[in-house]
Amino acid sequence: MTITRFVPDLARRGFLLAMLAFFLLPFLWLATTAYKPSVEIFSIPPHFGFTPTFDQFAKVFLVFDIWRLIAVSMLIAGCSAFFSLLLGVPAGYALARSRHPLAMGIAYFFMAVRMIPAVAALIPFYLMMRDIGLIGSWISVVLINCMLNSAFVSWMMFSYFRSLPPELEEAALTDGCHQFAAFWRVALPAVRSGVIASTLFCVLFSWNDFLYPMFLTKLDSKPISVALLSAYGTKDITWGTLGALAHFSTIPIVLIVLFLNRYFVQGLTRGIH
Amino acid sequence: MSHPAKDGRRVTDISSSAEAGGPFAWRQLVSLPQSFADRRRLFLVAMTIPAVIYVIAIGIVPLARGIWYSFFDYNLLRPARAHFVGLGNYLDLFSDPDMAEALKNTVLFTVSGVTFQLVLGLAIALALWRDDRFNRICLTLILIPVTITPLVVGLIFKGLLLADYGLVGYYLAQWGLSAPQGLLASPSTALGTLVFIDVWEWTPLMALILLAGLKALPGDVLEAAAADGATPLQRLRLVVLPLMLPSVMLALTIRTVDAFRVFDSVFVTTGGGPGNATNTLMVYAVKEGLSFFNVGKASAIANIALLCTAVIAAAFVLLIRRADKKANGR
Amino acid sequence: MTSTRSKLRKIAATTVMVLSMSGIAAAADKPLEGVTLNVASMNDPFASVLATLAPKFKEETGATVKVDILDYGSLLTKTTADYVGHTAGYDVITMDIVWAGQYAQNGYSVDLTDLIKRDAKELNVDDIYPALMSSIGGYHGKQVAFPFAGYANVLAYRKDLFASAGLKVPETMEELVEDAHKLTDPSKKIYGFVANGQKGPAVAQDWMQYNAEMGGSILGPDGKPAINSPANIKSLTVYAELFQKAAPPGAADYDWGGREESFRQGLAATMQTWSVGAPGYYDPKTSKIIDKVAIALPPRGKGLPKVYGIGGWGLSINKDASDKQKEAAWTFIKWLVSAKVHKELNLLGAGSFLRKSEMVDADLKAKFPFLPLVAEVFDNGDGEYRPRIPEYPEIQDILGTAVNSVLVGHSDPKAALDQAQAAAIKLF
Repeated sequence: MTITRFVPDLARRGFLLAMLAFFLLPFLWLATTAYKPSVEIFSIPPHFGFTPTFDQFAKVFLVFDIWRLIAVSMLIAGCSAFFSLLLGVPAGYALARSRHPLAMGIAYFFMAVRMIPAVAALIPFYLMMRDIGLIGSWISVVLINCMLNSAFVSWMMFSYFRSLPPELEEAALTDGCHQFAAFWRVALPAVRSGVIASTLFCVLFSWNDFLYPMFLTKLDSKPISVALLSAYGTKDITWGTLGALAHFSTIPIVLIVLFLNRYFVQGLTRGIH
Repeated sequence: MSHPAKDGRRVTDISSSAEAGGPFAWRQLVSLPQSFADRRRLFLVAMTIPAVIYVIAIGIVPLARGIWYSFFDYNLLRPARAHFVGLGNYLDLFSDPDMAEALKNTVLFTVSGVTFQLVLGLAIALALWRDDRFNRICLTLILIPVTITPLVVGLIFKGLLLADYGLVGYYLAQWGLSAPQGLLASPSTALGTLVFIDVWEWTPLMALILLAGLKALPGDVLEAAAADGATPLQRLRLVVLPLMLPSVMLALTIRTVDAFRVFDSVFVTTGGGPGNATNTLMVYAVKEGLSFFNVGKASAIANIALLCTAVIAAAFVLLIRRADKKANGR
Repeated sequence: MTSTRSKLRKIAATTVMVLSMSGIAAAADKPLEGVTLNVASMNDPFASVLATLAPKFKEETGATVKVDILDYGSLLTKTTADYVGHTAGYDVITMDIVWAGQYAQNGYSVDLTDLIKRDAKELNVDDIYPALMSSIGGYHGKQVAFPFAGYANVLAYRKDLFASAGLKVPETMEELVEDAHKLTDPSKKIYGFVANGQKGPAVAQDWMQYNAEMGGSILGPDGKPAINSPANIKSLTVYAELFQKAAPPGAADYDWGGREESFRQGLAATMQTWSVGAPGYYDPKTSKIIDKVAIALPPRGKGLPKVYGIGGWGLSINKDASDKQKEAAWTFIKWLVSAKVHKELNLLGAGSFLRKSEMVDADLKAKFPFLPLVAEVFDNGDGEYRPRIPEYPEIQDILGTAVNSVLVGHSDPKAALDQAQAAAIKLF
């Protein structure tokens, strides 16, 4: 490596490290509150040091059924991601390949669905779920998340497929390849990064969404995001409890991102450029 | 009796197939189109239909009911008093100073937040462009803010910025960098602080989408540009940016639409205060809808927000199409 | 080896049989076997105690109690949705004192009047403070909830700061205001006063309390809003001055948590609060002022009748629940408010007082030395300073924005209250 390339590289790494600090330190503060005795979370003047304790975790386990909360969150995120991809990826592909003027309209319709403010449909959706007896069940959350996510996946995959030159599939199709096979074996692998990014979006959205599950689930079926909200009581924000709970809501998703990220980079490098 | 039509489709003569007997006629009626173009069309339609039906059934039907409600003075807590008011809720909102303030705050929040995110996100994406170990680790770690529940993000900054004993807020107030009551409690800085929180939370996502766009750029063009002896800045402005415009637009659309709907972080940090200084459309709508169950008014606010986002999105769509044409017409 | 194992298996099988037989025997005197009660509870100190006591109730009656702990906003939203949607998701719901009007008007919960009459002896109603019974759940002749957690408004103050300044504990609002300004010394990070300033319920509720203590009132004599009355404008002016000169600068953004934290950190010399928070000031795990804090009766304006603010939570039964569930819910409520269980609840830290006998109970007094004050407040309790009318949530919100914008210097008291009045009158 020559010196002229080395210097910008150093600047680049320095910049990234500064950004990492910027993005991680605030979260670190919350994470550490979980290990502080309540009395040491704040002080005047504030300082960062503390005597570590696991009291906050003990309290969290006393009040919340942590493993169930995580399991429900995973169930909701997993199911809604799976069905959203199942619905959205084929739709995105078809819309990208269709030359019908309506296709463009439908693609934009999907994009518009993503913009629906949650509160606009929340109360009618609640009544609808009541009528079919799904109130209090995690399935109702999957249904609504899946709606928002599949629309979004359709839109996102639409843009990914569109930037993929159609020549490859056309070649496969002229070779007598079945249409579905052309989609499944030729087009889909080429946009793997898009599929993984979509999955990431779906999982993130479902995992962090709280307005719908707060409204639709009950004690046994509520995900961890709703439990986080209840730690934010009105009389007392129990920062230590929140910090401890945030561990359980964050670690699984960070692991998923770590895992998907590997595929993401792979997908990007292996995909057609 | 059937005969091939001009475009190759088998056109079925109903009267003749009726003679041939029930099941056979049925099969003929639904007989798959023979030409490739028709089979292709059918295949594409079949791929799209499930998603469309699902979204309409689960999403549009309740939404339509919500729009219907917006024409009523309808409070779930006082159902007996519900009555049709036509555009009354909308007319009230037009003369409502709270609504005007909420709209102004939402627009300011969205425009400034997304602009900062784009600039910072682009810088990070460019820094992460090269595929090496260091960058891969950075990319993963930098995504952490995106993964944190927005509710918690709001609380983190609320805790840090408390003026009297918060780790950051205390020193800001001490050194005169913020009003004594703290960044979030001062009417002049509260909205800016919320923008900052949004930038913290969502810049990594912006960077991720832009990075995906960068990585998809054709290598030959970049090499050609480098061989031409263009400086890095020139390459960025003349080659990279125009080529990745579609992904810039995608990132902008996603973020603009989401920022316009901001709720969680505002809800837990300021609740729209001080006064109404950080009241946004969604905070206003959720308050009306879920605290007071004023379904009519809440729906009207939400629908106005929806209309605004639709206009913004339409603008983006036009831009995307132009960007597409440019990128493809190269 | 195998034989030992099969022997063990036989023993295990016999044990299971014996156990299940004893289970059958027990079921006879467990009338609620198989019933599951869903409880929606506010995330106040009593919530985790409820969850802790649930197995005990199962042991005694056979009913499983599931406690869903929710924050204030979610609790209001979820339970209201449950009521208006008639989904009967919850059987027992903790009801804030100020929701009574809505509950009564919309008939969300079972009217407990007859049940209380029927079981008066078992409940020992005479032992319950009448002020709590009438204001927590009592509304226009109905009893929409049974009082469960009574909170008393008290004044927490720093005896060390008052002693070194040579001041005595304020008894009137005028004295409190004067002392607060005197005790404030920003250079030492000591402020004379702290209250909620954050937009929303936080600032609205605290101001309504000070406003009542200064002789103001939210409703006029006709029961309609009289938010911009001269007395209210005057009290808000004094209040705003306290915030701007005698409160920690960050108080404009405090909710309950922020306010309590600042007091426990030692920033403030006086704070009016609910008795439920008081144990925390003496607890070295949460407080930095354990040996400097004292509790007194809240001040009242000169010449005003000596009544004190009360608040708290009642237990209500969802009207949409099945009769069987309703009966089980009523059994659960009776069990919870019984002298024995309620005392245990408080020993576990619920901070939710209800009965006269609790005020003189030796175990409780030893743990909570401020109980005589709570008794005094309950004896002269005023649960109406926050109007418990059906329109309360909207009025609270209107005030929450108006008062907050005055405190941050965004508008002046008269203009803000005029605007609030105009908005509030539209609700009637």
